[in-house]
Amino acid sequence: MSDSRVSVPVPSLVRRLGAVWWRHVRVYSSSLFSNGIPPFLEPLIFLVGIGLGLGRYIVSMDGLPYIQFLAVGLVLTSAMYTASFENTFATFVRLEFDKVYDGMQAASLTAENLMWGELLFTATKGAFFAGAVLVMLSVFGLVTTPWMLVGVPLGFLTAALFGAIAMLVTSAVTNINHFNFYFTLFISPLFFFSGVVFPLSQLPENIRWVAMFLPLTHPVELLRTAAGGHTVFGPVINLVYLGVVIPVVGTLAVKRMRRRLIS
Amino acid sequence: MSAEPAILVREVTKTYAGGFQAVQGVSFEVQHGEFFGLLGPNGAGKSSLMRMLYNKSTRTSGHIEVLGFDPLRNELEIKYLSGIVPQDDNLDVDLDVVTNLRVYARFYGLSAKATRARIDELLDFLELGEKKKAKIRELSGGMRRRLIIARALLNEPKLLILDEPTTGLDPQVRHLIWDKLRLLKKQGLTLMLTTHYMEEAFQLCDRLAILDRGLTVLEGRPIDLVKSHIEAYVLEIIQREASAALTYTGPVRRETIQDRVLFFSNSAAELEAIARGLNPGDFYLRQSNLEDVFLKTTGRSLHE
Repeated sequence: MSDSRVSVPVPSLVRRLGAVWWRHVRVYSSSLFSNGIPPFLEPLIFLVGIGLGLGRYIVSMDGLPYIQFLAVGLVLTSAMYTASFENTFATFVRLEFDKVYDGMQAASLTAENLMWGELLFTATKGAFFAGAVLVMLSVFGLVTTPWMLVGVPLGFLTAALFGAIAMLVTSAVTNINHFNFYFTLFISPLFFFSGVVFPLSQLPENIRWVAMFLPLTHPVELLRTAAGGHTVFGPVINLVYLGVVIPVVGTLAVKRMRRRLIS
Repeated sequence: MSAEPAILVREVTKTYAGGFQAVQGVSFEVQHGEFFGLLGPNGAGKSSLMRMLYNKSTRTSGHIEVLGFDPLRNELEIKYLSGIVPQDDNLDVDLDVVTNLRVYARFYGLSAKATRARIDELLDFLELGEKKKAKIRELSGGMRRRLIIARALLNEPKLLILDEPTTGLDPQVRHLIWDKLRLLKKQGLTLMLTTHYMEEAFQLCDRLAILDRGLTVLEGRPIDLVKSHIEAYVLEIIQREASAALTYTGPVRRETIQDRVLFFSNSAAELEAIARGLNPGDFYLRQSNLEDVFLKTTGRSLHE
């Protein structure tokens, strides 16, 4: 081994992850108009639709006006959707079509650095999306307590969670169309059975425990707790779930993606 | 410069998950400041070997050292000290030319100030100075290739690894790239490249290895390979009718490829004698070249 070995100033792990994160931020913000507007438009359309239509039929749920009940969950479903798209379709395109990772792997980064940096970006994007929803909610007067701002860090965690799950799925997918199953059979049902559109306490008691295993349940319950609403499982279970599942699924996803990146 | 080689590859094999043996025991060394080429038909194992140098691919057995480091253990060090140009274009198409380089410079931890100066220098060097703000989609294939080479040079590498750098480019761009690489050679750069262009290998490489089916079949200086592995002259008879009319039955080595007949000899006069009596447009007498050596050693059948 040569003496140059000690003197090679490879950037630190933090800087490498930061550089990967920065690459994604730059690409995302390079189309600021088409990437930056929809996160605000989507909740706007949703709230107007509910307010004009559905809201007339459902006066209150769990002691709150229905639209206010729904608003809490919407903050985090946006983070779920953006993370799920980011680490399925977008990751797959980078991997198989654009060959972006091939280019990045030629620099002083490992395959693991690439994937963790990417998850970090996904989480950041989730925080941004949650923040955008909160802005629109405040326009409608639906942010009733400053505690709702906890939605931003929870958006980060929600996106980290769903980004990791999506990446794990992507590591096993060889045909981009197969992601349709993931969205139809997994992501869409979560919207309905994770305490977003109706309280989990409405579920029959003998199947209520199933909701504990659904990932979206936990960030949504945490935000309800912050906003002063009722929950079924409570913040301790919620935090333990996120604290365990994010690193475990993340590690597994990165490990399996490594096999796609190194032949 | 240390005495040890810049790249050391010893008895390296690579078997992919499906059981395909891409590399079956290849050894070579590349000295500091040397330009070394890997030639071979598709599937010979060139790209697999290149990828193993920077841990884009892992070897099955054998020993590799790049700039004193084992890619399995110190890929970061190797990649920090090397510039790598993979086969496919993989620029960020959503970003402009300068931003592509800026984003990439961060992977090496370069400061913003150093990055700016380096980018200007490299874009001028590769004659892309006027394209700074251009989108990648607006660039021609030759410009993209040069930009990828500029990207690989950002960190002032000691070693440049090029996998088919000029495939699909026009002769002007190809010559420009060769000229730039020769300039870098003067500054002490070590270069390892794969190519399908014999002219490229002949022009650039101090030494080269010809691979076939995962094994080295020839290694040496290009000029020596042509001198010692093939006769000096070739007579190509292009017309089937003409070759059918040919009466020669002597000892000169003959090869028949579909419609053509080739004669090889160290004596041009001998070949001229064979050609006598043929119509001028029907044959072609020339010096042999690296391509003849390549086809002789790797065979003429398709490697698909």
